[in-house]
Amino acid sequence: MHRLISPLVLALVGLILFGDGVYIHAKGWLAQVLLERAFDRSIATGQAVKPWSWADTWPVARIEVKRIGASAIVLEGASGQALAFGPGHLQHTADAGQRGIAVYAAHRDTHFRFLRDVAIGDVIDITRSDGRHFRYRADSSAVVRFDASGIDAMTRGFELVLATCWPFDAVTSGPERYILHATLIGGDR
Amino acid sequence: MDTYDTADSDEHPVLGRLIKLGLFLLAQGVAVMLVAFVALLVSFGTGWSATAEQASLLQPGEARSGSLLLKEDGVTTEAIRLGTDIDITVSGPTLRARVTQLFRNPTKDWVAATYVYPLATNGAVDTLKMVVGDHVIVGDIKERQQARVIYEQARSAGHKVALTEQERPNVFTNSVANIGPGETVLVQIEYQEPVHQAGDEYSLRVPLVVAPRYNPAPIVQSVDFRKDGSGWGAMTTDPVPDRDHISPPVLDPARNAPVNPTSITVRLKAGFALGEVRSHQHNVKVESPDNTTRIVTLADGAVPADRDFELTWKPAAGMAPSVGLFREHVGDADYLLAFVTPPSAEQATQKPLPREVVFVIDNSGSMGGTSIVQAKASLLYALGRLQPNDRFNVIRFDDTMDVLFPASVPADAAHVGEATSFVSALQARGGTEMVPAMRAALSDKISDSSMVRQVVFLTDGAIGNEQQLFETITAMRGRSRVFMVGIGSAPNTYLMTRAAELGRGAFTHIGSVEQVEERMRGLFAKLENPAVTGLTARFSDARADITPAIIPDVYRDEPLVLAARLDKLAGSLEIKGRVGDRPWSVTLPLQSAAEGKGLSKLWAKRKIGDAEVARTMREMSPEESDKAILALALDHQIVTRVTSLVAVDRTPSRPEGEPLKLSDLPINLPAGWDFERVFGERPQVPTQLRERHADARNQSELRRPTPAAPDAIRLPKTATSAELKMIAGLALLVLALILFVLNRRRRLLTDAA
Repeated sequence: MHRLISPLVLALVGLILFGDGVYIHAKGWLAQVLLERAFDRSIATGQAVKPWSWADTWPVARIEVKRIGASAIVLEGASGQALAFGPGHLQHTADAGQRGIAVYAAHRDTHFRFLRDVAIGDVIDITRSDGRHFRYRADSSAVVRFDASGIDAMTRGFELVLATCWPFDAVTSGPERYILHATLIGGDR
Repeated sequence: MDTYDTADSDEHPVLGRLIKLGLFLLAQGVAVMLVAFVALLVSFGTGWSATAEQASLLQPGEARSGSLLLKEDGVTTEAIRLGTDIDITVSGPTLRARVTQLFRNPTKDWVAATYVYPLATNGAVDTLKMVVGDHVIVGDIKERQQARVIYEQARSAGHKVALTEQERPNVFTNSVANIGPGETVLVQIEYQEPVHQAGDEYSLRVPLVVAPRYNPAPIVQSVDFRKDGSGWGAMTTDPVPDRDHISPPVLDPARNAPVNPTSITVRLKAGFALGEVRSHQHNVKVESPDNTTRIVTLADGAVPADRDFELTWKPAAGMAPSVGLFREHVGDADYLLAFVTPPSAEQATQKPLPREVVFVIDNSGSMGGTSIVQAKASLLYALGRLQPNDRFNVIRFDDTMDVLFPASVPADAAHVGEATSFVSALQARGGTEMVPAMRAALSDKISDSSMVRQVVFLTDGAIGNEQQLFETITAMRGRSRVFMVGIGSAPNTYLMTRAAELGRGAFTHIGSVEQVEERMRGLFAKLENPAVTGLTARFSDARADITPAIIPDVYRDEPLVLAARLDKLAGSLEIKGRVGDRPWSVTLPLQSAAEGKGLSKLWAKRKIGDAEVARTMREMSPEESDKAILALALDHQIVTRVTSLVAVDRTPSRPEGEPLKLSDLPINLPAGWDFERVFGERPQVPTQLRERHADARNQSELRRPTPAAPDAIRLPKTATSAELKMIAGLALLVLALILFVLNRRRRLLTDAA
């Protein structure tokens, strides 16, 4: 009997760890489904709709890169909690479509995994929660330190930055960030 | 023990079976997970290889470290060479210039080159042509960002491509990519510009070098000076967000032969009988085919591009026209350009108002050499011209500032003497913090409305934060008028003209010590004589869009220049104003206008200037002014802040896999500048050629190195521990399985024993 105890304990811890990892992905995926719904309701009602009653954040925009079929709902704020559910809109940066620079950040292994497939020249569509639609075009990318992003918050242009951790395939987190810069090329509605 | 054990298990057969079942299920589960994980790994596998490849492309640090070439002995055969030919045709009130830049690549690599060059502030750049071998590719005007994307795409695809961008209204860059080994590419731009007129003197100025700008440091400094920041970012408080775009490498004249040989030809068709034709900074050869035409060429052939070319001409005696009217029909509209020189008031009948004059002199390092001599001579001349009932003050600045008197003092002998010795002792050194000096000059402490308040600002304008200065003038000008005196061989004319315009004054340029007296006398004529004020223009029949919308006051000997877009060419143009205290008006019948060239572009360029001014004055939101500028620029095919010209040769030239090297072409130091005063110790600027391997497909930010800017935006942590947990969990499960199997084996073995 006691010979079975150590493998069982190991297996149990292993399962919990593995399950936790799966849970992070599942949470990110499930949250996006709920967010998608909340976002559609936001557009319909014109009000900020919380995706679930105890949420401390709300969807503000949808990012789409049609060429590679990627899409994600962006949440207000970039706290660790918000980032678990979707890309976060950094506070004190402009809203999409406004003068200035909008910065969206998300995890490299969940919502912004698609960033590495985005090529310069790709069109990035942003739909705001008020239903307005803006088209950006990716024009440069860079790898920077988290505290030296080189992002000009007071820019005069209409710009967008999508940020995530770099390198994409690393297992532990580091100080480097990958940023994709885009500039507004048009909007409608 | 063993028997006991067996008996024990025999006593609880249900429990034993349950445990076995549980373990079986666990093993099954682990097997499934293993398979799933292997599948996951395979899917990651492709991802890994893809990112690994991209990593080598995207790491700017790696790309930059490629090959930074430091050429100690100056000019080398490995650098990209550039030659420039300038061909100008003056027809009456306008000129058209064709600037041909020749990029020759003597190296064995494929090269992309960027050259920063100046153009006249009022020039409307409308044509870009790239000549490769025997075919010519004509550029298209595009929204700036779109043009940049086209350029980057063509560059990475290996196509030859040229891009013309505006960095400042008088500073442009040409970028050419994919010049093959041993190849020569010609890039040709053309621009339209009005001829400048002052009194009976007409002039044109071709700036040939961008003087190194003093870019005030951001207030917040970062200690982390990484060199691989992005190319477009900068700090919020950075007064010069695009400092790297306007700071090409500069050669030390003591160590390098001047580069960028330039040849100039001017075909002058004045439209009236010509008198004296003079070049002020270059030796020229003048041919006269007839009495209204001159052909001007450089006497010594090509010259290094280290000073502005300035040509002035005068009509033959007694032939000076005081009015000029020109028209052009483009599309469904007529464009009109009018020059009117108002009569000067009789000085004897006017009692000059007492004045309060604040002189500001720039004694920064960029003024070193002959510039400070000219500036001091000009200021001493000005002090000598003051009347006893005038008041005055003197401010000097570099990166520090001194105000001579706490408030303006009467211009009596004692005060003027004190000022004279103060000015004579000035030395050129330090940075150029112009804004605090302008602020001090504009603070009106006496505010005596019986006195005319004038600020005379002597500088070379070598700063990069022009916008801050304009905002200071707009916010604080009050009743003061700002007169800019441009000093040196290559002053920043954009800064001078715009500052004078915003300050409702005038701009005078002094290019050499010999010009000091003549030009300062001209300036004092403006300072001492009443301007023509309250000017309005009205068309009797045609509906017109006139620029400038609000006509500025005109100083003595200056013409009033109006451009207008008309729906029909009929009726007359009436201009009214006041000369001193007397009304003045003139009526010009439109029928008598002569045919002119490129007037529509000049009108559009002036409108664009108006939109920029309106934005500085906060009369227009930045969005509105951008929109207005974009519409005008696309309509009239002009390069502006928001539009660029791009020409792509679709025949692929660079073979795939061949790397492309980037090079920022060096420029000369303007003549008369002192290298050490500007850059400090000599060894600090040894960079003759900056080269980087850049075969990545998306590295627009690599075009120029970015000085690290401190950042307001910190990016959050964006990696989950999910994968780490999954991998660790899986490892534990596998370990458990191994242990279980081992245990089981041992038990079986002992059982068998």
